[in-house]
Amino acid sequence: MRALRLALAGALSATALTAATLASTAGATTTLKGCDSATYKTSGKLTVGTDNPVWEPWFSNNKPSNGAGYESAFTYALARKMGFSKANVKWVTVPFDASYAPGAKSFDFDINEISYTPQRARTVEFSKSYYNVQQSVVVLKTSKYANVTTLAGLKGAKFGDQVGTTGMTYITKYIKPDAKPRAYNTLDLAVAALQSKQIDAIVVDTPTGNYMVNVQITTKSGKALAKQIGQFKSVGEHFGVTFQKNSKLVACVNSAIAALKADGTLKRLSNQYLSDYTAVPLLK
Amino acid sequence: MAPGGRAVREFFLSPTHAWRAFIGDPSEGLSAIWEGFLTNIWMFIVCEVLVLIFGLAIAVVRMSSSPILTPLRFLSTVYTDFFRGIPVILVLFAVGYGVPGMDLGWISQQSPTVYACISLTITYSAYVAEVYRAGINSVATNQLVAARAIGLRQGATMRYVVLPQAVRNVIPPLLNDFISLQKDTALVSTLGIVDATQAAHIYGSLNFNFAGYTVASLLFLLLTIPMTRLTDRLINRDRVKRLAFIS
Repeated sequence: MRALRLALAGALSATALTAATLASTAGATTTLKGCDSATYKTSGKLTVGTDNPVWEPWFSNNKPSNGAGYESAFTYALARKMGFSKANVKWVTVPFDASYAPGAKSFDFDINEISYTPQRARTVEFSKSYYNVQQSVVVLKTSKYANVTTLAGLKGAKFGDQVGTTGMTYITKYIKPDAKPRAYNTLDLAVAALQSKQIDAIVVDTPTGNYMVNVQITTKSGKALAKQIGQFKSVGEHFGVTFQKNSKLVACVNSAIAALKADGTLKRLSNQYLSDYTAVPLLK
Repeated sequence: MAPGGRAVREFFLSPTHAWRAFIGDPSEGLSAIWEGFLTNIWMFIVCEVLVLIFGLAIAVVRMSSSPILTPLRFLSTVYTDFFRGIPVILVLFAVGYGVPGMDLGWISQQSPTVYACISLTITYSAYVAEVYRAGINSVATNQLVAARAIGLRQGATMRYVVLPQAVRNVIPPLLNDFISLQKDTALVSTLGIVDATQAAHIYGSLNFNFAGYTVASLLFLLLTIPMTRLTDRLINRDRVKRLAFIS
């Protein structure tokens, strides 16, 4: 029995080795640092996880594979750097909670506006930043908080955010509101609560908030009903793609991100998809 | 142990994470699970009282034989059929987002906890009404005949003869529904309320660790197990008392 097991193990690791060789030859068009030792879930393919639904402006029309939206476009640019054609990028649906649960992952990396925090990095691997993010406050135009410009002015407001997003940290750390903040399971539920005046304000990353006020919370004719009254000053928060702990792919993705930064692709993509928000003032 | 055992243990059982989740930390956006659990407890208490009242009312109406009550009887049948058939979470959505959305003045301006209580009461009253009905049916017919023989009217028969016996008979199934209600207070997180499970969820996704869920489970057990034991004792005491008449 033991001999059989050993033989099996040998055969398996041999297959794994061949797979690894195959995989690295599949990505052979790249000379990026760290990519020669990279292994992939399915050889010859880059398997990328994200949630369903996904939101503008990070994705477009809830279709990660269309190459539109910042994160989708970024993923394809990244894949190209790593030597994968568009056809070899495979998307899989990964609910946020499943992206960090223990056990084997169904993806090479997951991209879903996930902010780096040191606590999170103990469970998963993070790539370097592909977007430096700030958080903003969205209120209804008819709200009594619509003209507030300071953090102190928001103390009396009822806050909500999407559960598990870093927005909650900003609420309880910087605003310290009188009423207990609410946490909604999805972003659209938080929006529904804002529209029905169950809450006064949502804290959400600035690009998403920008999409909310320009597209999501509008009249039928497209007139905005909400506004972004301001954003928190940057505290170095950034998005990274996440990997299984000890993934062999981190170095490769990091050098690809560095290359995208160096050749101006990241800047171009953020201008294309996320530029509108730069006008949002800082909350004092 | 499974190959991933260590990782799973750390993910669900890490004492450091469990403690941090339990006490919370506003500077990191973490709600305290113990504080969230207080919300579960008082919601459950308020809902339980309301459910006992409404459930009984529905059952009594449904079991009545007076011709005047026929429309109400019909309504109560439709009510139990309808609300036993719909998942609680959908009732929560409909009430919790629908009612405030209708812009009906003060009715639409209540806090989510109020809508959550209403939703749970609506659903559980339907279940509990059926439990009461079973209890009423379990009272022997000769009791009714005897009550009539000593000159009690229908209402008085119900009040003094049927219900006291019926309720006693259904205490165990009632308790079943209440334990279920205690656990379903966790569903109120769909309305944004930060109860114990939502606090655990927040902790989990900001730290990528699920020890908070374990803490929440333990708190729920601390609530349900003593209650089960207590009810068992009450039932036994009652049984002994009743048997005393025979011996």
